[in-house]
Formats: sequence, structure tokens, C-alpha cells
Amino acid sequence: MFAEKACNLIKELSRNEGVLPPYNMDLVKEVCTEIKLLDEQNKSDGAAVANESGIANYSNELYPTLRVGVAAVKRNVRCLMAYHYNRLRTLRTMRWEFGSVLPPDVKANLNSNEIEWFSKYSRSLTKYMMSLGDEGLNLGVNLRPPKSLYIEVRCLVDYGKYELSDGTVLLLKKDSRHFLPRSECEELITQGVFQHIV
Amino acid sequence: MDDTLEIDNLAVSESEDELSLEQMIEVIEEAWLNEKFAPEILPHKTEIVELLLGQITHMEEQLQQVSSTDFKKGIHQMELDRLKYLVTSYLRMRLEKIETFFTLILKQEQQRTEKNEEPYLNPNEFEFAQEYEQSIKDHFESIMSFCPNVMDTEAQIISPNVNSMIILKSKKNIEGITVDDGNAENNDLIDLTSGSQILINYNSIASLLKNGDVHLI
Amino acid sequence: MSYNSSYSPNYYSMDDILATQERIPCKFLQKVPRMGRLNPSTEENDLKEGTDLELPLWLAIDCSMGRQPVVAPELPKIFKENYREILKADANAVDLHKFSLYFYELGSYVKGFDHRQEVHNILLHTFITRFRLIMDLANNSESDPSIQQKLDMLERRIYAAGHAAASKLNKWLLESGAQLEAAVLVTNHKKRKRVDDDLIGWN
Repeated sequence: MFAEKACNLIKELSRNEGVLPPYNMDLVKEVCTEIKLLDEQNKSDGAAVANESGIANYSNELYPTLRVGVAAVKRNVRCLMAYHYNRLRTLRTMRWEFGSVLPPDVKANLNSNEIEWFSKYSRSLTKYMMSLGDEGLNLGVNLRPPKSLYIEVRCLVDYGKYELSDGTVLLLKKDSRHFLPRSECEELITQGVFQHIV
Repeated sequence: MDDTLEIDNLAVSESEDELSLEQMIEVIEEAWLNEKFAPEILPHKTEIVELLLGQITHMEEQLQQVSSTDFKKGIHQMELDRLKYLVTSYLRMRLEKIETFFTLILKQEQQRTEKNEEPYLNPNEFEFAQEYEQSIKDHFESIMSFCPNVMDTEAQIISPNVNSMIILKSKKNIEGITVDDGNAENNDLIDLTSGSQILINYNSIASLLKNGDVHLI
Repeated sequence: MSYNSSYSPNYYSMDDILATQERIPCKFLQKVPRMGRLNPSTEENDLKEGTDLELPLWLAIDCSMGRQPVVAPELPKIFKENYREILKADANAVDLHKFSLYFYELGSYVKGFDHRQEVHNILLHTFITRFRLIMDLANNSESDPSIQQKLDMLERRIYAAGHAAASKLNKWLLESGAQLEAAVLVTNHKKRKRVDDDLIGWN
């Protein structure tokens, strides 16, 4: 059946909900080859089916073949676009969760166009956030309605020095505990550096 | 003593603005709920957002000067954080809608411009939407460069479900709302009294929501 | 909040792509030259008029529309009378997952092939009857996990949403505070890394 490979791209993504699997270059190439072959066949069938004024002649013997061929190209393209689009959506969410620098092993799963897209998106987003108010507004914090001013957190990694907005410098060691203003630690919690203790 | 005075004055600063801080919060709270529950993007509320951001900066500056041993500082900081959550959450929801429905939203903005109607996006959002669209387009074109003519750009769209159900509260008496159930032949008409709440499909009340006669809850 | 599950229309919806991959029975109304390979039980080059073949929904729909349709699609057996009777008798007892992973999605595509609206009615009946079951499941975390296996994809999403809402509510009632958490992708990334590290450790 046509477009089986293209659909396998989608199956692969849907099995991996919540993570980004390695970019499947081989399968993408195979799908592109199928599209190319089908499209060439459709072009020659199309020429045979068209009458003098270029309009499809329904009674031509090849008309049904052309319809199947056109549908197969459409399906392949839809799967191919959906594969790439949904990967970009995950990347977009990663920009909000990891910040503008991706972990190296995530980056290793991307193709070069995706890396380029990520930095373009990151730039647009930063530009938009800078346009808010007089001096810009970071939309990556204040993700949840605040319940208390100070919270207790445990540090999950050896992070090193971290400067608070009032200039105090903390040394963040693995398993160290801190009692800090919520606004100071929210981003580090989102990035998995701190764990919020309740 | 001076500190206390400063803090009590936080809310009434910048008296040249017509709205009090309390009124601004009311407006943004309503805009936040509307944007949260409406399936499509709503007309922007940039003016109130900018006013509030100005207030936030102002309050932050004033709080800096309050001694951190003053227990009132904590309370005001909390209030400030809640306000910041409201504004950032509202702006995040709009961005998320723009990113999801960008093709449709940009097309509708274009139609609004042609009809000389007010745009739904503010200039900064519009610029972001255009850049986003361009980046997706570039990405797709580079994938399809081996066979560019087969892209189905007309079909490449995500539309919100404007028939999804919402709960609304009416701000005034409204008569003769047509309930659009997809069946044009026998549309029911309903009346709303001020303060009444109903469950209804979004499409039937979208225009009432946009001109502020009702709000979503 | 997720806008990705909307089907109205969503070109990139993975659920919709997977649902339209389901096969339904079709009859070919015309000869289709060179398409014999669609039929695995013949070696012929052309597909004959009158051939009965199961086709993926995307192809069946595309080729059955417009002037001079190429195929006539039929109802899949799970929407025929025998199966409808089972659903009418006790929809809650049915393993819908075995019927089809995309029961409702598939149903809303094929309901147009049935002019007496029987499919339309059974879709509504099944959903309304089973919705209570799903609500109960979502609110009761100690319920039998094997029941979840009997839900179709739409029902699973409703269950997951309901379950998440119920546990959030419980947490809020117990602790009256929202714990700040690491982002989902960050957590998944860490988990995966741990698995990878373990694998490396083994080698």
C-alpha cells in the first residue's frame, strides 16, 4: 500500500509522546523517493488524461489511476509535513522548559534545519518579550499562581554559584536545602535544578 | 512611619490614569478568563496590559525601598506576584493560540485590515506571528525542495473548534440570541438577564463576548 | 491546555492521521490500470472493476468522492448490525479497544455511508453510556487498571484528562498549595538519560 512508510514516521512520533526521538533521516528519504516517483508517474498520466484544453477527461482509461496516484501523493505529503511540524511543536515546548540552550543529547537528535528553526524561534520569542512594558517581561516565569512567598527547595545537581536579584550569591551543591523567595527559584525548578519541598 | 505611608500609597499612585489599580485588575481578570475559555483568539487588550506593567514596575521600585523586616513587605510582594502571574499567563495564552492557529489568524487579520476593522493582534504580536509563519514555511520548503509543487498549502491549516461549549455570565439584559446548532432551519432564540449564567456553544455568543456584553467563567 | 487534539480541521493531527490509516471494505466501480498491486491476492497488472478490497480510510474517502467515483466504500463490520446490537445491549461491557483503536473517529468518518443514521445513533449511544464509566474510573484511582485497556483513544484521552484533574483537586484539598515541578520534557529527558546511563553501564 502507498504511504505506509510515511505513516510509520507518524507512528514513531506518537509512540514517543513527551520526548523527541532522533530525526529519522533514512525513513524521511525513503518517503521523499516515493513522493518523487509517484509525482512523476502522475505527471505523465495527467498529460495522457488531459484533453486539448488541458482539462481532465473523465472517460479516459487512466483517469482512475491518476486519482489513486494523486491521493497517494497527498497522503505522503501530509504525513511528512505532520512529522516535521509535530517535531517543531515539541522543540517549541522545549524552548519554554529548558530555556534557550538545549542539552547536548537533545540537540544530537535534531537535524540541522531543526537547530536553525529553534534559534529563529528563540530569537522571535525574546524579541517579543523585550517589547512588553518599558523594559521587557520574561514570560518564562510566574507559570503558576503564587501561594506563598518563600518556599523550601532541595538542589538536585552541583550547580555552582547562583546570584539572587538582591546580589546575594549562593553556592548550590547537590542535596543542599534552601529557603528562598518563590520568584527566585521558579526557573531553576522548571529546569530540574531544584526540587520544591512541600 | 514613612515606609507605611509609602506602602499605603502604592495602589493610588499615578493618579492621572483614569482607572484605579483595582479596576485594572478587574479588567485583566476578565480578559484572562475570556482568553482562557474562548477557543479562538480575542481582540487584544494591550492598553490595559501596558498600564498594568507600568504599575508593576512602579510597585517594584517602591517595594525595594521598604525595609525587608517590615511584615507588610511580604504581603505586598505576594500581591505583586499574583498580578504578575495574571499578566504573564494572559500573554502566554495568546502566544500559544497565535502559534497554533497562525495561518488562520494571519488570514483573518488580513481580512480585517481590508475591511478597515480593528485588528485582534497588537503590532508586536502581529510581528511575532509573521516571523513564526515564515519560520515554519522556510522549514517546510527546505524539506520539500526536491519536489516543491506537491505541497498542499491550502489544506495546511489548524482551526479552533468554535462550536465548543463554554459557560458565560451576562453583564446585561440581552434579548434574542440565536442558538446556532448547525441546523439553520429551526434556530432557537434565547434571552439573557443581567447576571444569568448559561452553558452554550461559543459560536452563538462570540460577537457578544467581543463587544463585552458577556464574559466567560 | 492543548489545542492539538482538535479535529476541526487539523492538517497535522497525528491522531487523525492514524485513524485514517484504518482499513474499510470497498468495491471498485471502475477498472484501474496499473494498480493491480493494491490487491495482494492477484498478480495482475490492472485492478479489475468489481474487485472487493479493504483500503485505508484516506484512500477510500478520496477515491469515493466527486464525479465518477473510483470506489464505493462500505461500512466496516464493527458498525454493522450484529455489532451495533452488542453495543445496544450493554455498551459498558464491550472491549472497544478491540473493535477499533479509533472507534469514534472512524465512526464519524463512515457514518455518512449509512443513510438510516444507525451508525450516528450508535456512536452517540455508546459514548453517552460509557461516559459515566469513564468518569467513575477517572475519579477512583484504585479501580482495576485492566478496564483502561478496554477504552478507545478518545476515551483514553478523556480518562487521562479526568484523572489528572481529580488528582490535582485531591492534592489541592490535602495540601492547599501547588507544588512547583520540573517541566514535563525536562523530567522525561532526565528519565531517559538515566536509562541510557544504565545501558552504558551494562556494556
